[in-house]
Amino acid sequence: MIGTVKISAQSSFGLSGYWTPLEENSTLMNSYEANPENFSSLKDWGLSFSYGGEFSNTPTSSLYLISLSKQIGRHFVSVRYTPGYQKDFIFNNGQSILIHDSTSQALDSKYTYKELFGFGYSYKFSGQFSAGFSLRYFKQEFDQESVEPVFSDTLYLNRFSKIDNINFWRADFGFNYLPSKYFSFSVSTINLFNINESAVDTTLIPYEIKKYKGVAFGLSVSPAENFDYNFIYETTNALQTGFDISFNIFNGKARIGVTGFHDNYQSPFIAGIIPAISFNTKFLGVSLSGVKYFSNRNIQHTFSEFTNEGLDNIINNRYSYDKVILTFTFALNTIAEKEVQFLDANIVRDIYPTMSDNYLNRPFATARVINLTHRTITIKPSSKIEGINEDRIVSPVVKIGPKDTAEVSFYTIIPQSYDKKKTGISFVDFFITADNSQPDDQIQKPILINGINSWDGKVINLRYFIKRDYQFSMDYSKKILSRYKSELDSMAYSISIFYKAKILFNNFVKELVYSANPTIAQDYVQFPNETLKLKGGNCDDLSVLYSSLLESVGIQTALVDYKPQNGIGHVNILIDTQLSPDQARLITDNDSKYFIRKNESGIDEVWIPVETTSLTNFDKAWQLGSEKFNRDALDNLGLAKGSVEIVDVY
Amino acid sequence: MKSTLIVILFFCAGIISAQNFKVEKVIGNVKAQIGASENWSQIKPGEILIANSTISTGEKSSVSLDGNNIHFVLKGSSALPLTNLKKMSLDQLILALAMQDMINTPRKKEEANSKNTAVYGAEINGIKEPFVVSSNFGVQRLNGAVQLAESGFKESAIIDAKETFRKYPETSKMSSFRIYFANLLADLDLNEEAYDDFKQIDSLELDSDQKSEVAGKLDLLSKKLMKN
Repeated sequence: MIGTVKISAQSSFGLSGYWTPLEENSTLMNSYEANPENFSSLKDWGLSFSYGGEFSNTPTSSLYLISLSKQIGRHFVSVRYTPGYQKDFIFNNGQSILIHDSTSQALDSKYTYKELFGFGYSYKFSGQFSAGFSLRYFKQEFDQESVEPVFSDTLYLNRFSKIDNINFWRADFGFNYLPSKYFSFSVSTINLFNINESAVDTTLIPYEIKKYKGVAFGLSVSPAENFDYNFIYETTNALQTGFDISFNIFNGKARIGVTGFHDNYQSPFIAGIIPAISFNTKFLGVSLSGVKYFSNRNIQHTFSEFTNEGLDNIINNRYSYDKVILTFTFALNTIAEKEVQFLDANIVRDIYPTMSDNYLNRPFATARVINLTHRTITIKPSSKIEGINEDRIVSPVVKIGPKDTAEVSFYTIIPQSYDKKKTGISFVDFFITADNSQPDDQIQKPILINGINSWDGKVINLRYFIKRDYQFSMDYSKKILSRYKSELDSMAYSISIFYKAKILFNNFVKELVYSANPTIAQDYVQFPNETLKLKGGNCDDLSVLYSSLLESVGIQTALVDYKPQNGIGHVNILIDTQLSPDQARLITDNDSKYFIRKNESGIDEVWIPVETTSLTNFDKAWQLGSEKFNRDALDNLGLAKGSVEIVDVY
Repeated sequence: MKSTLIVILFFCAGIISAQNFKVEKVIGNVKAQIGASENWSQIKPGEILIANSTISTGEKSSVSLDGNNIHFVLKGSSALPLTNLKKMSLDQLILALAMQDMINTPRKKEEANSKNTAVYGAEINGIKEPFVVSSNFGVQRLNGAVQLAESGFKESAIIDAKETFRKYPETSKMSSFRIYFANLLADLDLNEEAYDDFKQIDSLELDSDQKSEVAGKLDLLSKKLMKN
């Protein structure tokens, strides 16, 4: 991973270095020089101090910078005070006062350039894209000594200072794009806006800081673990290039790097290098960097040279000396560190509320997540569907290795009380939580919530409609069977199952009329009470009704899924008579009207197929059911070929 | 799924286009059960029997059938569903056997729906469970299956016999029939299936000849299976 100290030439030159946006660390991006777009990976508050010394003829030291930053949601703001960003020039302005004793006094000029403070703002549009701006305030003080004659009893000369202040604001804009953890790209302006506070004395223009306009392009690449390469090019013909190597130590990360920079206004071609070493933990960062120029800095410059060449940068110019800078950074995180993040989330199945158990066993959505830490973490996915869930539904936890990605599955619970018949679009919030009490990341997606009568067309899922109005079916079946109590009580239990099935069928068909498609809408299934209320239904509805009535009195059933052939499918039911094969003759003399299945205990039982759409009588429905089952499921090997499937209701 | 009327029409068309047989000659007592009918009716020469009929012959009776390029005589004391009077390929037989295994596998309770344990009426009401005296219809079916095999329809005969063994459990204890049909499987090189059958047969009451035959077959088949 990357943690590069990038100190740019000219405009992008920064004393405390530039930390690549690819790396998550607590070192503050307190350099508006290399980072005018104010990008930061800071999570909450940040405080930074830079102190350093300059190796001039008379070594000096000063507090270079204090900065304070704060991340607020997607917004990042920072302010900085830069007392050490100052350069003073004292010149003999070529004038002198000749005293009568032949001595003379030279007149001096003192030009002071300061950057006092700055303000930065950025907005994170996504994990990959951020844009922002910075505002910096510069002060230029031109103090020129002069004399003026004073006429009184005697004529004398008054020596005085003429001070001109030309202060200005500089505003720049830029953006950062991080398409992956291996690559980042930035573009920022150089001197986009410069606003002077007051009118400029034209004689001082040559001495003002030069404000060439341009664009800086930054690139960071991490071709290998713990190695980074960085490059910045400015259209004002300056560039810098460097690399760094990092390694984990003492629960933190140490980095060593070096950057060489080319400044169009300095020589040689590589004007200098910035070696740097840093150590960062979650809360503290310390870095020691130096600036070493390759040209001799301890030479005298003339005023005319200065007048001709001017000054383009306060802290890095042809008059700058070698430096050493020590920077301390504190990250004051009151917000939990994000350990895991969503990459994307996909709804894999629409919600059919009646098929509620389906969502306990199979995920309705999946998401890809990334572990942002350097350790293995356990994450807890959860979701909340608007209009269905009142609380978050937690899905099974997943372990993810350091910096690794994983796919997580989301399951949900649909309450039995859900009774909306209308299909509509809702939203689902996905959450992932690592060690924190609050979710580390959240993402929202639209989801289709079908009405309770909606069905996905899979016969296996008709089971859920059979269960649905269980109490209704039980009451209805009881009511019918109670009329035949004496007959049923007088027969053996084993044979009574068959007769109960027969009685129920012969009674409910009296109330029904077959309708090929009473509700018109495709994949719409009526609950048992609805079919009886509407006095009709198609094969799905009638199979659901009959199966529900039988199941409600303890008779086991199965659905037979005759899969679509030429677009036409069908469903009817099988009934477990619980008779042994030896007892089959109690109900029929035709052995083609039943078949044998083993029950859970491995005992053979007689099952009979019934065509529920035959709303005549049980015997006819049984006959039609057996003929179809024998032909399609057995003789044509439909069960083996998969064109017919038996779906046990329970 | 919604167009059931169409399905029923399709279903009827299926019956009409199924392979039918013409009764050529009838000797003695020969009856047929047409489709899913509960009744048996005497058949006469010239009658057309639909494919999902079952025919049954009395003692010293026989019926000669013709249709679908098949000429077949069912001898006395036999029964045969006409759906099994067909030429099956070995692949079809393997599929059919797999299908029977599928049906034979005990059902597993699924977690999707909770089982309803409600029972209406008297489950235990003191009434003795009805006992059904075994008919010899199962044996008739096996006689029919043997004749199928002898007429060259070995694959169909195996399916017919296996169905009979399940629907008429007392026939599954008839070792001579079991050995006969297990040998058919072995003849068709379905060694694994034959081995399983002989293993089951080995647990039946066998006479000494049958015991040695079964032991020999098991030994031979296990060697064949080892080689594979």
